[in-house]
Amino acid sequence: MNKGKRYIQLDHPRLTRLGSWFLALGSWFQKFWFPALGSWFLLLGSLGCTRPFDIQENTPAGNMAALWQIIDEKYCFVEEKGIDWDAVRAPYIARAEAIDPEAEDAHFLLFDLMAEMLDTLRDGHVNLYTPFDVSASSTWYRGYPVCYDADLHRQYLANARYVGGMYYTTLADDSIGYIYYGSFQSSFSAANLYYILSSFKDCRGLILDLRHNGGGSLEYAYRLAATFTDHDTLVGYWQHKRGTGHNDYSEPEPLYVRTADMGNKWLRPTVVLQDRHSYSATNSFINAMRYMPNVLLLGGVSGGGGGMPMSYELPNGWIVRFSSVRMCDADGISIEEGIPPHILDSLHPNPNPTQDNLIEHAIQIINQAYDHSTH
Amino acid sequence: MNPEQRTKTYCLRQHKTHLVFAPCSLFLALGSKLRLCSLLLVLCSVVSMAKAADTTNIYPHEDVLTLRFGGMWQQDQYLSPLLYDGMEVGIGNEWWQTFRRAPQWLHVGRADLTFGWLTNPRYTNRIYALDIEAGWGAAYQWHFRFARREQHRLHLFLGPYLAAEWAPRMILSNVNKPYSMDAAVELQALAGIRYTFTAPRTAYRLSYILRANLIGIDFMPEYWQSYYELTEGVPGDLRCAGMWNRRYLTHELTLDIVCRRSTWRLGIRHEYLEYGKRQMAFSREQVALVLGTCFRYGVANIR
Repeated sequence: MNKGKRYIQLDHPRLTRLGSWFLALGSWFQKFWFPALGSWFLLLGSLGCTRPFDIQENTPAGNMAALWQIIDEKYCFVEEKGIDWDAVRAPYIARAEAIDPEAEDAHFLLFDLMAEMLDTLRDGHVNLYTPFDVSASSTWYRGYPVCYDADLHRQYLANARYVGGMYYTTLADDSIGYIYYGSFQSSFSAANLYYILSSFKDCRGLILDLRHNGGGSLEYAYRLAATFTDHDTLVGYWQHKRGTGHNDYSEPEPLYVRTADMGNKWLRPTVVLQDRHSYSATNSFINAMRYMPNVLLLGGVSGGGGGMPMSYELPNGWIVRFSSVRMCDADGISIEEGIPPHILDSLHPNPNPTQDNLIEHAIQIINQAYDHSTH
Repeated sequence: MNPEQRTKTYCLRQHKTHLVFAPCSLFLALGSKLRLCSLLLVLCSVVSMAKAADTTNIYPHEDVLTLRFGGMWQQDQYLSPLLYDGMEVGIGNEWWQTFRRAPQWLHVGRADLTFGWLTNPRYTNRIYALDIEAGWGAAYQWHFRFARREQHRLHLFLGPYLAAEWAPRMILSNVNKPYSMDAAVELQALAGIRYTFTAPRTAYRLSYILRANLIGIDFMPEYWQSYYELTEGVPGDLRCAGMWNRRYLTHELTLDIVCRRSTWRLGIRHEYLEYGKRQMAFSREQVALVLGTCFRYGVANIR
């Protein structure tokens, strides 16, 4: 049994010295094995003990400094928006230092101060998430014409069906298809689109209403855009913020809408309704639709948000979300500030309170296009 | 009878008891293909046991099943700058066997599955971590015995070990960066010392086994990558990793105790990993209590 095993006789003359050493080691082991190996274990453990790297102090000023640094190094629009971010630092750090961390409302004061600093970025993708509040900038949509009235809009959806996040119905005596997609966070399938577009088979055109669509998944945006083209279309570029400098971008990577992403096709006249609240992935969708045939954009300037957001934590555990990927159109122009429509229009004070004049305008455009094509 | 023989004699009995009869309920719960495979496996082992009675060429084989429970610390600057800490539970299996044609060499295989849940220091965010690790190694072994202590054995071994690890992590509150992972295939150094000794009524084996990485390939994301670039960009995120840029150490102190009709393992395991690139650093540390049971049996050399 086990014939290959050869023991080394430790008291063999040639190994006397080594043998005695091992013998001593063995007896020492037997007597002191636990403290000996335990100490070694603790030694290695303490040598390797995990230490946090490069973390600012968890004080109001430390957190403010960490927030400033995250934006300084990772936010992608500092230069493009012409913000003097270096000048922002000192006054806000000084004000943070003035907050007493032991004060009962210290976290509220710090939150408000941080939100104020982030508001200078005028970016809807910049938020501060805390266990008690979420900051959001409103400067990017203030002062723009109103293009959407929820009460008015609801009247158009009275008989609408709903699937995949989309309300759909026909308007103008079933001659125009109408889809309201309120959020690109709602997933839809090819089957959903098949049934929706099948119900529009006799329609002259389609109104795709994206007003107040605050965005969601870029994947859904490009899949939906693929419905409106029968060939791969270059719609823009994106660049990552790679280094710590304000202009440290990667080489532009092309963005294509791949026609194969959606088997259902709609190539008849389409009017996309947009407003300032059409933001983020919706803004990217609107940008893509500019390059599709038979598509017209109507409404207000879209909200922008061309930077894909990411997030990071502060030493106090709060999370900051910020834009870190810059997106451009196919001509290399940034879409961060929004996309103007082909026809600028907004809600008018209307003598008929049941009519959304933007939808009516879209119906008119499609009918004109149809008449033009038939004559 | 020396303790080693005593252990083996016992373990032959344990093999029959535990491997063949005890898992009947588990066996019935398996699918048909798995059931067939496991039946073949058991038959093979029974055949080899039967053969073992007639031949002198029996090679000792040891299989250890372990459960681990302990603490985990983790910092992944791709996901967060904060150091997360929490708990881990894990199961593992390791086996040891001498090479038939080179008995001075033994080979070892190991597979571990660990699940950890960690929170940041402010309890505002949570990471769930999974760690799947498997490896195989070969080690040259030296056996020492003591002239004045016949029943004591000292056993040293040293050799290379090839390990593969995949440790995905998910953080709950991040936007567009919800996942990260440690992934590596690396050559490690395996070293160990085992000391077998007897005490009244029972036998013990104290082991200390250490593994440290030498060279390999690991995955290291860039901080600006979003989750889908993380998967699309895997080839670009692979890099050569060695002691200079990836420090990995795992060591385990265990005591095997023959307790009546079974052999139980009690120990502590410490694992440390640290690596980094440019603006980011990653580290992970685990300390766990190890509980396990050992099966030692002979595998016959059938000719």
